[in-house]
Amino acid sequence: MVPVEQAGVGADAELHRRLVYGDESALAEVYTAYGGLVRRVAVRVTRSAAAAEDVAQEVFAQLWSRPYAFDPRRGSLRTWLSLLAHRRAVDWVRSEARHRKAARADDSALHAIPEPGPGPDETVVDRERSLLLHSALAELPQPQREVVHLAYFAGRTYRQAAVELGIPEGTAKTRLRTALRTLAESLADPPDPALERGA
Amino acid sequence: MTTDHDAVRELLAAWAFGALEPADEKTIPPHLATCETCAREAERLRAVVRMLEGPAPAASASDGSPSEARPPASAPLEGPTSTVLARALRHRAAAPAVAPHAAPYAAAVSGLKALLSEADGRWGTPVVHDWDVHATVAHLLAADEPLAAELGAGTGRPPSGIEEGTPWDAAWNRRTAEVIAHERGRPPGETVAAWSAQAAALLSAPEARDAQSAARAVTLMGLRLPVADHFLVRAFETWIHADDIGRALGLAVPPPPEEHLRHLIRLAVRILGAALGPTAPPVLFSVTGGPEWVLGSDAEPVRAELALDPVDFCLLVGGRYPPQEVPRGAAGDESAVRNVLERAASLAWL
Repeated sequence: MVPVEQAGVGADAELHRRLVYGDESALAEVYTAYGGLVRRVAVRVTRSAAAAEDVAQEVFAQLWSRPYAFDPRRGSLRTWLSLLAHRRAVDWVRSEARHRKAARADDSALHAIPEPGPGPDETVVDRERSLLLHSALAELPQPQREVVHLAYFAGRTYRQAAVELGIPEGTAKTRLRTALRTLAESLADPPDPALERGA
Repeated sequence: MTTDHDAVRELLAAWAFGALEPADEKTIPPHLATCETCAREAERLRAVVRMLEGPAPAASASDGSPSEARPPASAPLEGPTSTVLARALRHRAAAPAVAPHAAPYAAAVSGLKALLSEADGRWGTPVVHDWDVHATVAHLLAADEPLAAELGAGTGRPPSGIEEGTPWDAAWNRRTAEVIAHERGRPPGETVAAWSAQAAALLSAPEARDAQSAARAVTLMGLRLPVADHFLVRAFETWIHADDIGRALGLAVPPPPEEHLRHLIRLAVRILGAALGPTAPPVLFSVTGGPEWVLGSDAEPVRAELALDPVDFCLLVGGRYPPQEVPRGAAGDESAVRNVLERAASLAWL
């Protein structure tokens, strides 16, 4: 396990070095390795391939134009890209929600009480709840967010996530649990900043 | 069953995320079937993960395309690489393609530009000597100037009022002070733009693209070297100052790519050998993972061996390491080793 971990750190540091010195082939390699993950994270939050494409472009453009924003001593490139993609995707959905709300502001039909039962209204509720959760996820302390990203978006087991982050297995389990409970509570008590801000 | 219960409870979040080890998959369902507390908690957590997923694909109709809703986690999502790279390159150009002797300078310039995009609001941070970040860039602007003038790549900087015949080091000290004073009167962004424009002009000179035209020797700042080697000296200084700025800003500047580092080291060893002269006590010198050189007299047997890390050697030659402090592997005559280290540090290259 340890050599793999070290190889990961070394490989990230080498990629970072090439990015810093303006070697565009390093960017192509990073994209080949992590483009899929970044899009996957973005599409889960945005539900739109076009939006995910835009988020991916933004994420890789940021890595390339501000390589010093990533520090290989502080974490893996995989996790860093995943966190950035998630944050950008949440921003995208928030701004889309704002636009939608603004566009419909004078549509009186929308102010009617939604009918219970399945239908488009339920989808809207589901989407808003999903966004609420993703917003809460984006606000979690970084150590918790990292484990969630590896488990949820990158498909790692808690043990693999612990190895990648260099933390004990028990810590990984605890962080997943704390994170998920915090998310559950955010539903019970929704401050809903995204939708508030959209008003 | 208590241990089992506690162990399962600990794993419920991992279970909800689908992040269990294969071995755990077998222990959870039987326990959930018998333990109501765990089953409730499991359902609560899994519900959160489901809500995170958002509406089911069939109901998701943002723009009517079913293919874009909820792809399986394992499916690789291919996207047009060229679009992503093109957008990135619009934000920051790649280091220009130049001949191998100029590539280290092209890379160092690209790396320093990237670093300086983190300097906003911190231009006044002290770096080295009495220079802040802004003045360090102004210093590089002055330091690149002699080569730029030699290659006809000057960018119309205000001329210097220094009289002909002034010794090069005195002239150089006055010029750098002059340029720094001038640049202090401008916003840092303009200094960076001026430095960057001059570097770009150097890198588009024929001597940066073609080894043959870079073979002629010229004397700049007291060193008579082929133009190709002057490009290496520029790379060396640009990197060392980027490293200075990085330390000041709390950012770790990676060493130049291996191949560039090898070029820099070969040049530094040659200059060190020349500085030691043909009569110095001979020392077998090596950098980790690199070749070996005998420095000093070749008329007598080697007195000592000295091995340095490549980056440490560059920092020593760049005046960033006191000779007594640089980490080293040494054997044999201590005074011969000390002589090499002290001479390396006194090259006062930068």
